Amino acid sequence: MKPALGFIGLGTMGRPMAQHLLRAGYEVTVWARRRESAAPVLELGAQWADSPRAVAQGVDTLLTNLTASVDVEQIALGADGALQGLRPGSLHVDFSTIAPDTARRIAQAYAAKQADFVDAPVSGGGGGAQNATLSIMWGGKSALAGRLQPLFACLGKTVVHVGAVGAGQVAKLCNQSAMVATIEACAEAARLAAASGVDFAKVCTALQAGSAGSRVLDVFGARMQRRDFAAGVAARLHHKDYAILMDEAAALGAYHPVSAAVWQQLNRLMASGWGGCDTSVLLRVLENLSGCSEPGVESRSI
Amino acid sequence: MEVGFIGLGLMGRPMALNLERAGHSLHLWARRAASLQPFEGRDSVKIYADPAQLAAQADVVVTMVADAPDVEALCFGAQGIAAGARPGTVVVDMSTIAPDAARMIGRRLAQQGIDFLDAPVSGGEVGAINAALTIMVGGSSAAFERVLPLFNVMGKAATLIGDSGAGQVAKACNQILTGVGVLAVAEAFNFAQRSGVDAARVREALLGGFAYSKILENHGQRMLDRNFEPGFKAWMHQKDLRIVMDEAHRLGLMLPAAAATAQVFNAVVGSGMGEKDSIAALRVLEKLGKAETSRETSREISS
Repeated sequence: MKPALGFIGLGTMGRPMAQHLLRAGYEVTVWARRRESAAPVLELGAQWADSPRAVAQGVDTLLTNLTASVDVEQIALGADGALQGLRPGSLHVDFSTIAPDTARRIAQAYAAKQADFVDAPVSGGGGGAQNATLSIMWGGKSALAGRLQPLFACLGKTVVHVGAVGAGQVAKLCNQSAMVATIEACAEAARLAAASGVDFAKVCTALQAGSAGSRVLDVFGARMQRRDFAAGVAARLHHKDYAILMDEAAALGAYHPVSAAVWQQLNRLMASGWGGCDTSVLLRVLENLSGCSEPGVESRSI
Repeated sequence: MEVGFIGLGLMGRPMALNLERAGHSLHLWARRAASLQPFEGRDSVKIYADPAQLAAQADVVVTMVADAPDVEALCFGAQGIAAGARPGTVVVDMSTIAPDAARMIGRRLAQQGIDFLDAPVSGGEVGAINAALTIMVGGSSAAFERVLPLFNVMGKAATLIGDSGAGQVAKACNQILTGVGVLAVAEAFNFAQRSGVDAARVREALLGGFAYSKILENHGQRMLDRNFEPGFKAWMHQKDLRIVMDEAHRLGLMLPAAAATAQVFNAVVGSGMGEKDSIAALRVLEKLGKAETSRETSREISS
């Protein structure tokens, strides 16, 4: 007997995730601030409930995928929120990328009702959600692994239990930090090559086999070579996550000079109106700052 | 004037005392009774059960608290300032908060006919005690003129910078300049020291030229004296730079120097020196630049 599921947050990520679960035979109850966004999943057989509280009341496991910490906190702990509907033994799995401390706070509030909370942020973007190839990094009680495994299996390819509640979010922030800093480094390398009249494609080939080789160099380096800046994952999502990352560094009294510098580049990217582009567009931010234009080079898409 | 004052901490207490000494009637409320002790028994001081009742009796209500959520709760929470203030009252927030938070508070109060000034200060505890604060104000010139006599009691200079939020923007600029400035002096001194050169002589030589700044003069001397007692606490400077960086995030602004400085202040706080003066940044630089001599670390480095 499959557990009854609730799903709140039916956007770019949440909708395909809910659809996978419905196709896998789960009963899914949904709520959304705007009912229209739930239409595609209601068509596939999901049920509607009138509030997060009502969703939580009728399910064993609540799943959420929302934009920001305040949204998750509101749905979980706000008026007519999940906490008011959850029963002892209920589980809430949040796939959003939010502040580690928000996750810990929600978990603590739920503990009073003997309900569990798991932070399970994902990596892989809209494509990963569509193709059920997401990487899921989760934090929470080890004992929940058995309950989580069948759900995660419908949604992703790589699942790692990182640690206690909040650890999933920390891992996600590490992911964003390491990945985007490397994208920036590739952009700077591309600039150096271009400014020196050297073919960056040849540089990438030379680098790929050695210590500078990385998934980021392969994927984002290739986009920079082709000047194909169509997302991928939209840069504004990385920008959004950097605010969480840098807030966490400040709260911890941690020294992150590189992330701080990359953050400024992302700010400039946003101000240039490139938030909907692939993060490889950090190359164009550098070009602007260097006061250089690229005559004769057509950007495939911006 | 009938002046309400909420926030009687390190800064607020001396500011309120200066207002009382200058002959203004004080209307007070505080979360903790202990904060009210210095004011008890004075004829020109009335104490209230909640901010709403306080606001009903005051022409001007000053707030001096830690952060934006505190100001919002005081204004709009149950029994808050907005619940009791008469139309025409001016609320003056002298805390340092995000410019956008100040603008939103101003807009909400305006809906009830209550005027609002953001009026953050610079000058620290010493400035508050000696009524020597610099006050940077955002809001209407009419409200500014009304509150100016109070500003002149609490500080040595009050400037109307612009519309709502402009005071907080000016304060943020102040923190960028003083933060980056402190780090610049610390880097220069660390550079001199590590080069085996007397930083005191370097400072003397530099005071006469374009490198002169109040920070080189005052903070530089304290660095040379190794006097790291506040002054202005490092954790407060870290907090203010967080406001700057969050605003830069919102506006899409690139602030490389402020960003780097903010990280050094993270390290100051993270190393347990948050209660020291922000010139403790020098100690972080010294620690970061220290040559490791232990054998274990050398092995790590050479592997």
